[in-house]
Amino acid sequence: MLKISWLIATAIAVTYGSMAQADWKPAKPVEFIVTSAPGGGTDNFARVVQSIIAKHKLMEQPIVVTNKGGGSGAEGFIYTKVATGDSHKLTFGTNNAYLLPYVAKLAYKPDELIPVAAMALDEFLLWVKADAPYKDAKSYIEAVKAKPDTFKMGGSQSKDTDQTLTSLIQDATGAKFIYVPFQGGGAAGVQLAGGHIDSNTNNPNENAGQWKAGAITPLCVFSPTRLQGGVKVTATMGWSDIPTCKEAGIPIDQFQMPRTVWLPGGVPADAVAFYADILKKVSQTPEWKEYIERTSQTDRFLTGQDLRTFIASDDAKNRKVFEQEGWIAR
Amino acid sequence: MENFASLLHGFGVALTTYHVMLMMIGVFLGILVGVLPGLGAPNGVSLLLPLTFTMDPVAAIILLTSMYWGALFGGSTTSILFNIPGEPSSVATTFDGYPMARQGQATQALTLAFLSAGFGALVGVILITVLSSWVAKFALRFSSPEYFAVYFLAFASFIGLGAASPLKTIVSMGLGFAFAAVGMDTVSGGLRLTYGFNELLSGISFLIAVIGLFGIGELMLTIEEGLRFDGIQARVKIRDVFKTIATLPRYWVTLLRSAAVGCWMGITPGGPTAASFMSYGLAKRLSRRKEGFGQGEPEGVVAPETADHAAGSSAILPMLALGVPGSATAAVMMGGLMIWGLNPGPMLFVERPDFVWGLIASMYLGNIVAVLMVLATIPLFASILRIPFAIIGPVIVVVCFIGAYTVAGRPFDLWLALAFGVVGYLFKKLDYPIAPLVLAMVLGDKAEDAFRQSMIMSRGSLSIFWSNGLVATLMLIGLALALGPLLSTMLGRVGKPKGSSVVA
Amino acid sequence: MISRYTAEIGTATLTAGLGLAAVIGALEFGIGWGDAGPESGAFPFYIGLLVVAASIGTLTQATVGRHGLQSVFLHKEEAKRVASFFLPMLAFVVVARLLGLYVATALYLALVMWVQGKYRLVISVTSGIAAAVIFYFVLEVAFQVPLLKGPLEAALGLY
Repeated sequence: MLKISWLIATAIAVTYGSMAQADWKPAKPVEFIVTSAPGGGTDNFARVVQSIIAKHKLMEQPIVVTNKGGGSGAEGFIYTKVATGDSHKLTFGTNNAYLLPYVAKLAYKPDELIPVAAMALDEFLLWVKADAPYKDAKSYIEAVKAKPDTFKMGGSQSKDTDQTLTSLIQDATGAKFIYVPFQGGGAAGVQLAGGHIDSNTNNPNENAGQWKAGAITPLCVFSPTRLQGGVKVTATMGWSDIPTCKEAGIPIDQFQMPRTVWLPGGVPADAVAFYADILKKVSQTPEWKEYIERTSQTDRFLTGQDLRTFIASDDAKNRKVFEQEGWIAR
Repeated sequence: MENFASLLHGFGVALTTYHVMLMMIGVFLGILVGVLPGLGAPNGVSLLLPLTFTMDPVAAIILLTSMYWGALFGGSTTSILFNIPGEPSSVATTFDGYPMARQGQATQALTLAFLSAGFGALVGVILITVLSSWVAKFALRFSSPEYFAVYFLAFASFIGLGAASPLKTIVSMGLGFAFAAVGMDTVSGGLRLTYGFNELLSGISFLIAVIGLFGIGELMLTIEEGLRFDGIQARVKIRDVFKTIATLPRYWVTLLRSAAVGCWMGITPGGPTAASFMSYGLAKRLSRRKEGFGQGEPEGVVAPETADHAAGSSAILPMLALGVPGSATAAVMMGGLMIWGLNPGPMLFVERPDFVWGLIASMYLGNIVAVLMVLATIPLFASILRIPFAIIGPVIVVVCFIGAYTVAGRPFDLWLALAFGVVGYLFKKLDYPIAPLVLAMVLGDKAEDAFRQSMIMSRGSLSIFWSNGLVATLMLIGLALALGPLLSTMLGRVGKPKGSSVVA
Repeated sequence: MISRYTAEIGTATLTAGLGLAAVIGALEFGIGWGDAGPESGAFPFYIGLLVVAASIGTLTQATVGRHGLQSVFLHKEEAKRVASFFLPMLAFVVVARLLGLYVATALYLALVMWVQGKYRLVISVTSGIAAAVIFYFVLEVAFQVPLLKGPLEAALGLY
């Protein structure tokens, strides 16, 4: 119920905002709150946006970036919530903004933040070691099914995107993995290259280096369409040569992670519209396209109604997994 | 030999006036941020990062790494002068460095620290020059059980040191583990020991604890004793710097051993902090002047500093080759690599040899520049101690609290630092050892994570810790180090029933 | 005057309390050994128990060896000195929370130099303000690290 009233409230706010566009301007330096530690994926996202705004002078006021990555990012979102009505605090995150409160008891609710935009969708792939005897996703899943609870799937953190996806794969195929949580995707990638785990579901960016070096290989991508980019990464394969998981026989048509931007609750609609407009301009620069291509994400700019629809459906999909796995914290 | 040719090429890349100038600017800025606790290297590097977006990647990484070296040296400076470690890895330097400074030997302590740090860094760089490809492959053999074994090794080499009561050592170490457990738990994905306080969500920062326990706690003791800093009258003589340089070869055994420990911990994922503690522990055990440790023994400065910097520089290689940062600063630099359009990973060496070897060459040059520059600052820093205490004391208080705030921008941390200050004062007065608490806080949650990941992998069987030669060897060395002093004390007790040691 | 015995008992009680807090906090989670190894509460639970046990050990040791611990922990004179340092520091933190770190820095340095350092009032106040201004330029302007600010900065239009 709460969720719906929130959607309506933001809908009104944003509609009103777009009518009264550009009436609002930041009056002091704008703080970018990054809900990850320095060097993390969200950190890169925020700093790229910062560098583009600075380079193209999209905003008159300077930008200060602060990292508040404690508690998987909860620290940053709580900081945003407490700053109710402060239109000079822009918060960068992923879908963790609305998913974290399910798995941990936290002092904020997603409806206390206002979504401004989603700027990209990060992709997930199924990776195995290059010298493993599996040619495609199907044969790998068959092997896992033959010996349940012996194959190790590595991922970043616990009860987060990687484990959710592992759980979805198990549901869709009947295979059973041992999920091993590591501190981050980078570590999970190295563990796979070293042969200590059997597979992982890393983002393209986290595993590209090891793939290029021939240590690991992708089996399929959890996206409705194949990835962009015709350039070959290895001698024989490029990103666009990777089949979608649906093609490859794992019936999951879509699993992506949005890169999202938020404002504290209670800020004027004009301010929401102002930032949405700036971020839109950022997403049209060549530097942004370059970032998207380098990290092999999907370029998708969502704001207003589209963004809310996306969040609602992503939220419902994840919530189903959380409920089923008993991860909901109460 | 192929590496050698690449290195020469790298020197060609790094040795331009522009690059050397960048090194000097970087080192200078690094010393500046290193001296202010809390500001530290990660902050400095992330601050410079936007500036480098428009620079050439080689120039950018030279600027950032030089700043990193500078910050490490700056951190050692405050450890020695004020007992405030700027980085976790310079905690062990305070054990003997600060007593030396209080005895009026600040110049000697700083000189020894900088020179041995420079030596350690050079050994680390030479190692990665010679063994770059082997190191990257070796690092791939490490998984959670091996990580746990390495952390265990670090604990084991430090356990049983010192004359403190065993019960108080347990209390101190236990509290360290408990503090480290606060916040998000990687393995279960849940929050622990936060008792519903938002302030505890991101855990208790190690730096806050150190600022309180060491910095504020020590100031309270100094005041209570009614002492000003000793050595106020001691004049700073440039000659002392050169005299101390001449004494360095005396410590060649410690230097070599500590460099070896540092390189080992840098390549394996133990990192600089584990390296400096372990090296200090070993130096104390193997020294002929055990009693002097903790009271201003020069060897106690040389050992942790050498290992710290050897580990810091040799750890750069796994970062480049594997894409896994070993520290907060490395993480920021890696973020930078990606923004400059470089992907860390095994292929970086093949695709961008000019970048990699330029970086390695700049590590040689950057460290030499850094050592020369910090040696030149010694008279300046040492003379800070001559400022009347009524001024410098409150200034240190202010710097401590500003440092505590800048760690994460949380007002709550001001209270936390104050509380740790009181605890540090009480612990010092009642002979509770503080080092075990610090070590447990730095490595505790990492060791726990590694242990539980191993248990997930093995489905709850402890046999994973001797499942292959590497992990079994590490565990055996760890056990030998842990049980060694215990056995020898027991044998010692049997030998002379009237033990002279009285439990304090 | 505080005896060493009192100080030992007080500190051991404090550490026992911290240990107990860890035990209680850990009980919220599983403390057993599941088939995926120890549960998330297990480690803090046993660490907490260990701290409590060792603290009780220290308490016992202190009580048994009581007459050996009658030495003075803190003389009146020493207590005065510690208080004269600690209380202004406490006030500094309180003022910092209310008025921001810069104002607190200026006030604290000026007062301590004037009252305890016996410097002239003008010199003390000038040094305090100068230090705050230097910190502002080094941190906010040069390194862009924001410090805690209060009403004065807001009135001056500094962010």
